Amino acid sequence: MEGLLRDLAPQVLGALVRRHGQFDACEDAVQEALLAATVQWPTAGVPERPRAWLLTVATRTLVDHWRTDSARRRRESTAALDPIDWSAVDAHDTAPGAEDTLVLLFLCCHPALSPPSQLALTLRAVGGLSTAQIAAAFLVPEATMAQRIGRAKQRIRDTGARFVLPPTTERAGRLGVVLHVLYLVFNEGYTASSGLGLHRADLTTEAIRLTRLLHRLMPGETEVAGLLALMLLTDARRAARSEPDGSIVPLAEQRRDLWDAAAIAEGQALLTRTLGAGPVGQYQIQAAIAALHDEAGTAEQTDWPQILALYDVLAQVASGPVVTLSRAVALAMVHGPMAGLALLGTLDTDDRLAYTHRLEAVRAHLLEQAGDPRAAHQAYLRAAQMTASLPEQRYLTHRAALLRALPPATDPTES
Amino acid sequence: MKYMIMMFGGLGASLADRGPEWITDMQATMMRMDRELRESGEVVDSQHLMDPGQADTVRFHNGAPTATDGPFAEIKESLAGYWIIEGSRERAIEIASQVVAVTEYPMEVRRIMDQTAQM
Repeated sequence: MEGLLRDLAPQVLGALVRRHGQFDACEDAVQEALLAATVQWPTAGVPERPRAWLLTVATRTLVDHWRTDSARRRRESTAALDPIDWSAVDAHDTAPGAEDTLVLLFLCCHPALSPPSQLALTLRAVGGLSTAQIAAAFLVPEATMAQRIGRAKQRIRDTGARFVLPPTTERAGRLGVVLHVLYLVFNEGYTASSGLGLHRADLTTEAIRLTRLLHRLMPGETEVAGLLALMLLTDARRAARSEPDGSIVPLAEQRRDLWDAAAIAEGQALLTRTLGAGPVGQYQIQAAIAALHDEAGTAEQTDWPQILALYDVLAQVASGPVVTLSRAVALAMVHGPMAGLALLGTLDTDDRLAYTHRLEAVRAHLLEQAGDPRAAHQAYLRAAQMTASLPEQRYLTHRAALLRALPPATDPTES
Repeated sequence: MKYMIMMFGGLGASLADRGPEWITDMQATMMRMDRELRESGEVVDSQHLMDPGQADTVRFHNGAPTATDGPFAEIKESLAGYWIIEGSRERAIEIASQVVAVTEYPMEVRRIMDQTAQM
């Protein structure tokens, strides 16, 4: 039932906003209707036309809201009280709310909003999640999340954005923002693998669901398909990525029989259909890299030369320190750890990496491969001190300790 | 009654000399205790803090607040995390003892003050 409600949420909201305007008030009304459904449907049964039921309840809530709001009393006589038979409207709508959902996605990912606000609003208005669920997923108090969503809706009202698709000239740029938001939702869930972060795995599922929806609405957009493939091919490894106690298992040491073969097959098929069908972008390239990892029967069978070639393309399409970091790993696998370390050296002065542990973690791995356990030990410890993720901190500390146990190459008392 | 159980040490520099078995043992203990306290419903809140090497300190300096990189004190064993539990003083000490037996790092147990007047 929850799945049905979440599917219907953006359709109902879209229909309401299209009719009444006032995105923020409609959004509150839809949340109340969803809540009413979760209370009533389990006992009374799912109505014959669930979408019309939600629309009717949400409209009633909206009207009540306007009635009690004396400043808006004048509006009573117009749109809201205009009797409308939602079930009749629904019967003639073959693909209910498809464009509405798309408009909603673009609206929630409005460039005037900060990324955290875009994420929260998208999950609530398009994903149909409650504020409490979103707060739990981002590990912040519910009041904080309620304020963030409230401010985001206020900001959208201030921009005067209308409930229409962005003009064609802006469409590509705006779609880029939507994809980035979905990518962030996915990563938010994917990078949290500890036992304490159980709620957050739901974000991964939700990101895939929303990207699947977007792909259905825009089947011709190759980057949408690329992002969906990337998510499927990456999430396929979820069960193997951590031990039951939450500790991290690196890719090379994962049990590949735990990978989700169905998700890999779906991602591969999607990618095969997509590559060459339109302009190549960063998500398709990343998906192709993920596919190469997934196809290798063992870590040793990984086609690193091909992965390196793809990272070279990625560095041209979307250059950045994080891409350079991954490219250094591939470079080390193909041309040896010293080549990788040399590339890492170019990042030492990059301020964008000054506050993340990733540079030191990759350096530690490459130093270990290069046969310098002492330097690797120190790099692991530096990385452990810089990470804000508990499972990563535990993993890095453990790797450091493993090297500490080796007979040191030089004076053991020096540090 | 609520008690805060604070763990000192077990981060960064204080781990540099420890072997892998010791670290695995310590981490396993912390995770097991954390899980048990959650399952028993005794934990009100629990947080782990990042390495003090990443801390900033704000001091009143020359008549104005001034921020500097680094922790407040140059101590090897600084606050690494805490549990807040609902229970008796004896229970809080018992929990701390179980951890200290494995980690060998000191823990501090302090009662949390009530927000309301006790009349």
